Amino acid sequence: MNDQILAAVSKYGAPALFGIVTIAAVGVPLPITLLLVVVGSMVSQGAVDLWWAIGAAGAGSILGDQAGYAIGRWGGPAAIARLSALFGKHTGLEAMEAKAKAWGGPGIYITRWLLGPLGPWINLASGTARYPWHRFLLWDVLGELTAAVLYISLGRFFSDRVTALGAVLGDLTWAIAALLAAIVLGYQLWAHLRRAR
Amino acid sequence: MVRGRSLPSCGAPTGYIELVGKTWQRVLAVGLAFVVAITFTFVFAFRAGRRARHMRGEDEPIQEWMSVPFIAHSHHVPAATLFQAIGVQPRLPRDRRSVRRIASDLHRPTPDLMAQLQRALDEAAHQPPRP
Repeated sequence: MNDQILAAVSKYGAPALFGIVTIAAVGVPLPITLLLVVVGSMVSQGAVDLWWAIGAAGAGSILGDQAGYAIGRWGGPAAIARLSALFGKHTGLEAMEAKAKAWGGPGIYITRWLLGPLGPWINLASGTARYPWHRFLLWDVLGELTAAVLYISLGRFFSDRVTALGAVLGDLTWAIAALLAAIVLGYQLWAHLRRAR
Repeated sequence: MVRGRSLPSCGAPTGYIELVGKTWQRVLAVGLAFVVAITFTFVFAFRAGRRARHMRGEDEPIQEWMSVPFIAHSHHVPAATLFQAIGVQPRLPRDRRSVRRIASDLHRPTPDLMAQLQRALDEAAHQPPRP
């Protein structure tokens, strides 16, 4: 699957890149970081124009993110109501909405480029929590352009080491995600122990 | 201590023991998750560091999705040298076919073509640099 995607971008350039990043942003797990790094290498070889590459990657990702947000916005509350009825628990959509408004912006931005695998989930959660669309769009555009410029530039700079660089970036992403999880869990433990004392 | 039952005679609120039991279960679960998260952080950070250190010294392995110009660029060899080595006339202006596609067009197994490209790269690496 990965080989076919990379071969398609290698052959068809920016249009294939646009289609693949759109699908990935909706939630299909595809190696987008490696893909952008490979495109950066192709830019350095003159096979793809830099601005077309950034434009295709940015526009495709934003389109896919908006689709994910729309699915969450119009399908999320109904799904939550069904789950609530199934498990007999109150989910607190209002509380979710308040949390999304408080943390939403930076969370959306970070999950566009630093914690990419979480991006589709944040899109759905933002829509479900009725995070204001214009603010979602703003952070989404900023984050996706950061991702496109950053990874394509890295690919240009390390154009003869793209698969190794893709592997390093993949490991770094998971290390950062695990570190963030450890910080959140550690804070919860610390707060509980403080209350217990 | 009996779990799952309240003790009305001692004046504890209904469900108190269940609440305490569940709280400690939750703390234990969060603690375990914390340890797992810390372990994952170190494992992935270590792997990233090791890969980054070896990145400079290792050649990019040939993969099926790569085009011949892409392989040539990764190994700092002219694309024409590789096309010549596998006996293919490149399509103009730029032959973007993947190694797998070229192998399919030539009715050859992809691993054979990849091995032939690798031999050509090895030969090019042993040749003295052009003046």
